[in-house]
Amino acid sequence: MRKLGGAAIAVRLGKVDVNRRWGKSCRGVRTLSAFLLLAFVLFPAAAHAYAGPGAGFAVLSSFWAIFVAFLYSFYALATWPVRQLFRFFRRRNAYGKAVFNRAVILGFDGMDPELADRFMKEGRLPNLAKLRDKGTFAKLRTTFPAISPVAWSTFMTGVNPGKHNIYDFLARDTQNYLPFLSSAEIKGPKRTINIGKYSIPFGKTEIKAMRKGTPFWHWLGKAGIFSSVIRVPVTFPPEKFQGVLLSGMCVPDLKGSQGTFCLCTTRMAGDKFREGGVRVPVERKNGAFHSYVPGPDNPIAKEAGHEMRVDYEIRPEPALNQAKLVVGKEKLTLKVGEYSEWIPIEFKAGLGFNAHGICRFYLKEISPEVEVYVTPVNIDPGHPDLPISHPVTYSIYLAKLYGAFATLGLAEDTWALNEHVLDDDAFLAQAYGNHHDREQMLFDALEKTQQGLCTCVFDTTDRIQHMFWRYLDDDHPAAREVPKAERKEVIQDLYQRMDKLIGRVMEKIDDDTLLMVISDHGFKSFQRCMNLNAWLHQNGYLTLKDGKTESGDWFEDVDWSKTRAYTMGLNGLYLNLKGREKHGIVDPADAQALQDEIKQKLDGLVDPNSGKVGISGVFATNVVYRGPYAENAPDLLVGYAGGYRASWDSVMGKVTGQIFEDNMKAWSGDHCIDPRLVPGVLFSSHKFVEEKHAIVDVAPTILKLFGLALPSYFDGKAWTLAPKVSAVQAPAVTPAT
Amino acid sequence: MATAIPAASLAAIGLSWLVSPLSIVIILSVVIGLGMIVLFGYTSDQKAIGVAKDQLKAHLLAVRLYRDQLHVVMGSYGKVLRGTGRYLKLAFKPLLYVIIPITLLIVQLDRYLGLTGIPTNTPFLLTARVNPDALDGVSIDLPEGLTASAPPVHVAADNEVVWRLVANREGAYDVKVSTGGQSAVKTVRVTSQLVGLSPERLRGHFWERLFSSGESALPADSKVESIAVDYPERNIPLGVAGYEMNWIWLFFILSMIAGFIFKELLGIEV
Repeated sequence: MRKLGGAAIAVRLGKVDVNRRWGKSCRGVRTLSAFLLLAFVLFPAAAHAYAGPGAGFAVLSSFWAIFVAFLYSFYALATWPVRQLFRFFRRRNAYGKAVFNRAVILGFDGMDPELADRFMKEGRLPNLAKLRDKGTFAKLRTTFPAISPVAWSTFMTGVNPGKHNIYDFLARDTQNYLPFLSSAEIKGPKRTINIGKYSIPFGKTEIKAMRKGTPFWHWLGKAGIFSSVIRVPVTFPPEKFQGVLLSGMCVPDLKGSQGTFCLCTTRMAGDKFREGGVRVPVERKNGAFHSYVPGPDNPIAKEAGHEMRVDYEIRPEPALNQAKLVVGKEKLTLKVGEYSEWIPIEFKAGLGFNAHGICRFYLKEISPEVEVYVTPVNIDPGHPDLPISHPVTYSIYLAKLYGAFATLGLAEDTWALNEHVLDDDAFLAQAYGNHHDREQMLFDALEKTQQGLCTCVFDTTDRIQHMFWRYLDDDHPAAREVPKAERKEVIQDLYQRMDKLIGRVMEKIDDDTLLMVISDHGFKSFQRCMNLNAWLHQNGYLTLKDGKTESGDWFEDVDWSKTRAYTMGLNGLYLNLKGREKHGIVDPADAQALQDEIKQKLDGLVDPNSGKVGISGVFATNVVYRGPYAENAPDLLVGYAGGYRASWDSVMGKVTGQIFEDNMKAWSGDHCIDPRLVPGVLFSSHKFVEEKHAIVDVAPTILKLFGLALPSYFDGKAWTLAPKVSAVQAPAVTPAT
Repeated sequence: MATAIPAASLAAIGLSWLVSPLSIVIILSVVIGLGMIVLFGYTSDQKAIGVAKDQLKAHLLAVRLYRDQLHVVMGSYGKVLRGTGRYLKLAFKPLLYVIIPITLLIVQLDRYLGLTGIPTNTPFLLTARVNPDALDGVSIDLPEGLTASAPPVHVAADNEVVWRLVANREGAYDVKVSTGGQSAVKTVRVTSQLVGLSPERLRGHFWERLFSSGESALPADSKVESIAVDYPERNIPLGVAGYEMNWIWLFFILSMIAGFIFKELLGIEV
């Protein structure tokens, strides 16, 4: 049972009591059993020593486990000197010039320096305050734009986005103006064999990493320094290096999406979800309710769009305020408002082809209607159908050690809370359940990685701030109807939890370990949405088809032959450039002028309703980016002012009539704004002399502290330890060339 | 008629195969394999066993993942040993449920499948163990068809008298051993058929009698302590390159295979 909140814990305690009672009543049986077993020992006739296949398996498996472990250990021990010698000659002494034996980097996605400072001053974060007093506490300059996949890519590669090619979650296809996932491209096998109604793929699924650049742990690995890397964003597909890695943000669910939840309900009159979820009917048959978990399309069906499903049954027990669920071989009993553990489910495609996933069920209601929320179907870490770790066995190892865990990149279901499918408590239970699993992985990695790099990114900080900022503001549109007395101090509690985590990590490390706590960006309130496509439309840069006043998703009603600029994603604005976009009309010779013109008009744009500035800066990417992939970037980056962000519609390429509107969603805090307003945070156990720090500097700093030369293409600058430590221990580092 | 003869022959061959020791062991292995797996499934903490096995696998994987880090390798090895203990502890409870029926069953089967009857015209030994004061007066009464092929041998150190006997035809013979005015009877089976055999008749010794005797106990005041016949051990021909095997090993292998198949089919953690 994973930590799923009060009800689950109560169930767990109940189980312990039952075991105790059972233990008492079993004593007589045990005495008799011991007697019988003694008889066996006293009369060990060969024919009678075998007590069936169950016992046989138990004994054989045990001996097998010991035997294999012994062989592995013997091999490791026997070959260790040879491998050390080999490494000595190949890499010399890996740690010879290292200032620290180990570096531990904890990524708290979205931790805000102003909030951290405020809570520290209030005495709520004693462990972070210790780091501040002993080492460094500073703002950490983020990337343009201040979006997690962009910033974490810069963190790991030490370069600006022009060199790592990640500019947003989404990129646009210049041939059809449709979005695609910017971090990875998954293609099925090219060849198929047709047998009857099946089209069997022949060959391997190709997963291509779109993020360029080399993560700094590859450089460490080449020098013989081991790394444990857990859930750093944009590490899917995992790449080979000396160490272990579990992929993070951008890992898809089993459907291939970034997370599609499912609401199984007897209420079929609800609205279609805007994004991120589907509604599935629950039907009553023979006294029980039946529904299904939708899966991916059948990969071997000749006809496209043939969705695979796993049926399950719900048997409500209203008197007990619970229901029994039967999902395949699993039988669960859930109270209303309780999550299941991760349940393995198998989608059968036919001919022995199966897709393995895991999901959790949350019983929302059993009377008068029946509603069950099902998380997106995550890739099963114990049986991964796609590689989500390096080596592949690492995710299997973690799953065997701690049980199944969320593998989806964006594992906390923010859309379900936005759509009121989950309430605040259910969302928090889910988020902290994932967080608990992540903590277990971190502490395991800390134990295993006594030398080298250990880095782990926690998403909880980002997701909870996104969803609960509304309670932090006095007048957030999304929380106006919630009385102040009912507003929970969710974000303060979050920061305190993270502080306690730091405290536990500090107990596990010594002074020969550098501890850094960083965030990729900070946070601001998100009260007002701006539909930039609407602004482009109203200012004559984007034209709709004749008779249209608005456009559906992904520029459905846009007349490209008359459109000069468009936007999709969170901050990027694109010119409809001739020779680049399929229906481009802007002559490259005129592009700069058009870019300047739009920039000038948008910069400082005022929201007529509030009188506040909605956009505090617009940045030309040919100025802020340099590198071989800069041409894939948007032409302009729009920096929204505090309180503002791109509207939900604008992100999806929709053109509405209104430019500014209130943000009424639970997603009420954000960072996809002017990057100057949302720096991240840097805490470290040892003091650095620099006053200004940027996320791009982390990679060179770590390489420097391990005594390695810095690659010449790095954009970041390595920080220097304050004299107390550096004068004694810091080695001469080959300067970047 | 022409087709009826081969059909009858085939049926006879099939029937004879079905009652052969090999087929009996195969059928028993499958049935008992299924029964024991189901029983194991019902009586064990399936979830805990699954977790214990997963932990074992995790520690094995850790040895591979962190093979350059000796502290992890050695630590994982220690965890494998501890995990194995935990796993065996979990398997202990279902083992206790299984142990009584399977033991009694195997004891009974062993009487049929573990030994063969005495062949005709082949000498065999019959040993009587008596009280020390009764050793000198021990005599034997042989039924018709059974003869002694050598004078009895007294082994004073063990209080035993050993006869070498031979039978000239098949049958169940009751041999009477007498001493000090008392007598005790032991059945001797001379047969080539698959029958239940009792290699020993005992006085007292409850546990030993349970495991190795198929006959009633000798009276408590009997001067004869035991009468034993050394039935030859049965090896079951496998029909492959002349290989033979003791039934218990064959049963072990086949019931494990059957158990493995059924555990997969039924989704039972073992």
